[in-house]
Amino acid sequence: MEIKEELKNIDEPLISRLNRLSSSKIEYWDINCNICEDMALDFTDQKSKEISSSLTTECGIRTFVGGGWGFYVLKELDSQSIENGFLKAIKLARLSESLTKNKFKLGDRDPFIKNFKVTKKKDLLDVPVEEKIELVKYHEKIASGFSPKIINTHTVYTDESSFSIFLNSFGSFIAQDLSFIRIKTSAYAQEKGIIQSSVNSVGGMGGFEIMETDNAKKLSEKTAKEVLDLLGAQSPIGGKITVIMDPRLTGTFVHEAFGHAVEADLVLNNESILKGHIGKKVAIEDVTIYDDPTIGQGKKFNLPHELFGSYFVDSEGIPSQKTTIIEKGVLKNFLHSLETSSRMNVSPNGHGRASSESEKPQVRMGITMLEPRDWTLEEMIEDTKKGVLCEDFQYGYTDPITGNFQFKCKMSYLIENGEKKHLMRDASLSAMTLEVLNKISAIGKNIATSDGICGKGGQSVRVCDGGPHIRVEDIMIGGLS
Amino acid sequence: MEKKVDYHALSRYGLKLADQKSTRVKRAEIFYDASNYLSLEIEENSIKHSEMGSDEGMSIRVIDKRGSLGFAFTNKLEKSSIEKMVNTSIKMMNSGTPDPDFRDLPSSYRDYPKVSGLFDKNIKELQIEDSTRYIEDIIRVCRDDEKAISQSASFKSAYSKIMIMNSNGVEVQDKDTNCLVYSQMIVEDKVSKDISSGTDWQLERNLAVINPLKIAEKALEKAHNNLNRKKIKNMKCPLILTPSGAINLILQPIAMGINAETYQYKRGFLVGKLGTKIGSKLLTIEDNALIDGAAGSSSFDGEGVPCQNRKIIENGTLLKSGLLHNSYTANKENIKSTGNSSRSSYSSLPSIDSSNFMLTPGDIPKAEIMQDVKRGILMDDTGDSPNFATGDFSGLILQGNLIENGEIKHPLNETMIAINLLDLFKKIDAISKEVEIFGSYRAPYVRIDEVQILGGKSSTQ
Repeated sequence: MEIKEELKNIDEPLISRLNRLSSSKIEYWDINCNICEDMALDFTDQKSKEISSSLTTECGIRTFVGGGWGFYVLKELDSQSIENGFLKAIKLARLSESLTKNKFKLGDRDPFIKNFKVTKKKDLLDVPVEEKIELVKYHEKIASGFSPKIINTHTVYTDESSFSIFLNSFGSFIAQDLSFIRIKTSAYAQEKGIIQSSVNSVGGMGGFEIMETDNAKKLSEKTAKEVLDLLGAQSPIGGKITVIMDPRLTGTFVHEAFGHAVEADLVLNNESILKGHIGKKVAIEDVTIYDDPTIGQGKKFNLPHELFGSYFVDSEGIPSQKTTIIEKGVLKNFLHSLETSSRMNVSPNGHGRASSESEKPQVRMGITMLEPRDWTLEEMIEDTKKGVLCEDFQYGYTDPITGNFQFKCKMSYLIENGEKKHLMRDASLSAMTLEVLNKISAIGKNIATSDGICGKGGQSVRVCDGGPHIRVEDIMIGGLS
Repeated sequence: MEKKVDYHALSRYGLKLADQKSTRVKRAEIFYDASNYLSLEIEENSIKHSEMGSDEGMSIRVIDKRGSLGFAFTNKLEKSSIEKMVNTSIKMMNSGTPDPDFRDLPSSYRDYPKVSGLFDKNIKELQIEDSTRYIEDIIRVCRDDEKAISQSASFKSAYSKIMIMNSNGVEVQDKDTNCLVYSQMIVEDKVSKDISSGTDWQLERNLAVINPLKIAEKALEKAHNNLNRKKIKNMKCPLILTPSGAINLILQPIAMGINAETYQYKRGFLVGKLGTKIGSKLLTIEDNALIDGAAGSSSFDGEGVPCQNRKIIENGTLLKSGLLHNSYTANKENIKSTGNSSRSSYSSLPSIDSSNFMLTPGDIPKAEIMQDVKRGILMDDTGDSPNFATGDFSGLILQGNLIENGEIKHPLNETMIAINLLDLFKKIDAISKEVEIFGSYRAPYVRIDEVQILGGKSSTQ
């Protein structure tokens, strides 16, 4: 793989100068540099609102000594600027170190030297902007023309091609040539004074071919159909009830309600309900949850491309890997960065991720899944006297300290005497995470995953989550009726 | 040490290029900004990170006679990158769809309002070594409290300058500063082992008014108030919103609803409500960009249009002139932009945002508002937001307490509020004279006559 011209400044002589400058002053450093070309197409009601393109460079220099971190951000990639920034970053780490009372060391690692390139059939930079625009127009046209009740449509296409270099004081040197693509469609429909909306997206790591998959092609039709269904939906019932979550909502639960609590930085800061729970039973025996952001999982979900949340290495140069979080109901592992793994005396597992080179890594999830068991959805419904089948979600949030969460579902259906009945809108579920893990009464056999952008501490990273249908007893549903 | 870029010359070069490169370009605009920041972060109640950084970049918007817009940006401020940026933007413009509503970029204005106190030399010149004193008080508050077990907190300051230049003759520039203190306290009841948290923050233009001690103490008080949460049964009762609760349920949804862009696309729950009564006569809201030293203030907006002070809702009536416009949405209605075009950096296109968005206070003390409530709910925070299309809200109370006989009792677990916002606005029956400021929002305590509360406690048990 050819290193990009502007990044060739980062060569052996520079690295040895940096090592000389840092020796005896700090214990660890890393540098992330990136050149990025982005495109964004934003159409509404079949008209272009934004057609934009950008070329940017970024560089983040991170330094560490005795429990204190320094971080210096610049956009210049020449060796002189990097060296100047490096000196400032050393000062910043020493300032932190002089003030911190939590002293700790980072564990040593072997150097990791490798180049990674994403597999793609149609390079994003080779696809003319006109072709990308045609795609967006196509989706807008389908959604707008679907029904006169649809009053407004919105489609956003984004792609990103980046070339980055990571190096650190362990002697690691990783070059990556990556590209990501995503399309998101929204539709608003109105009838008798009621307005409803629906949003769906498809994304992945790879090239423009991701837009030619079935899921992508049918995206706008699916969104339009959903919003019309929602127009006719009733207000949800309220109270404590049995809930069947579809794979997307199961994913939301596994990520939002549970997953954040196993991020080791929150555990160390006393912000997790799972602190001190490693080796303890936290769920019924049928529950196994893992995070696996490794490359090559598209096939599992019948997708001819890499999943949106997958990555080769995290932002600290640690290779992505499968981590079992809960095995047969017992909490096995937290998700770690270099720092949290060092402090908790375990190996890092590749979850130190930053949203860009100008941000510092935090502990983040990748692709978080609940393992399937043997129920079919039909069996689950038949076996439910009174309940609600909840599909997909609009948004959700969790109080990590208490585990109290709330999800707003997109579609929900009443279940009565083993039969799926009418559609309801805006049902919102609220419960305690650990209670739910112990109130699961059935786990389905077919899994699916969905893409998302997860926010934490002001940073957004690509993630996936999913699992099978699950049935949970006694969850509170709130609505207006 | 650092290279200085002549951004004026580069901007003029970009505008000239756009004009020369294609006869199809009707108008062009360059937006430039540069910023420096520093930040200190506390984790586990100890300093952990020191950070500094800078960014500088430029973007161009070009439109043609059909109203098609092209946009491109870069942070490589060299002539060759600017040339590439201009060429790309023209290519983008040529491939866009016609939009007859996109008539023009703003024309030049002769006068701009004077708003002072947006720039503080002390922030621009602040050294990170000296900023550590703003953190010391925060750490002490957590250390000295018996129940406090941890704290995440931060101090951030930033200096930025922006410049906007367009081929209609607009040329404005300004500099500003801000600094932010944030604290999240975590406390544990030593007996019950219950853990809870509380957060507070302050965003200011001026370093002298930052009060980290007060922020940490308030976060701590909230954390204490949220310990040992209990479930309650379903009930219909009065609801008192704290200022942050009122921002969450009243100001933010209204600010989104009167955004002319979403309104014109018929997207929000306020569509069709202009000129009508949408709330109790106690509800009055204004959007004022001209307050000296305020976080949401500015003399011109993201397109170089002068900012204003506007009434939005008066005694419950959403004024006919109550929408917030940028030049595009204003042109569409043949009116003047209200100066609400918002642009967070060179990398983003203008959108629409409120400035200082303020709920006018009433004349009774907050204690009196509470006094009359026999049994009700006090809500400070819900991580939730309403369904913007319908105005329906059914959200979990993350930080809230039961009120009994005018007194604040235990905090609430698994408790939800369900109401339609228009209903909530109409049921406002008291507003306090005390006001709190959170960044660009200001609100008093607000009492709602009656809401449906869904308690986590089963009523059959």
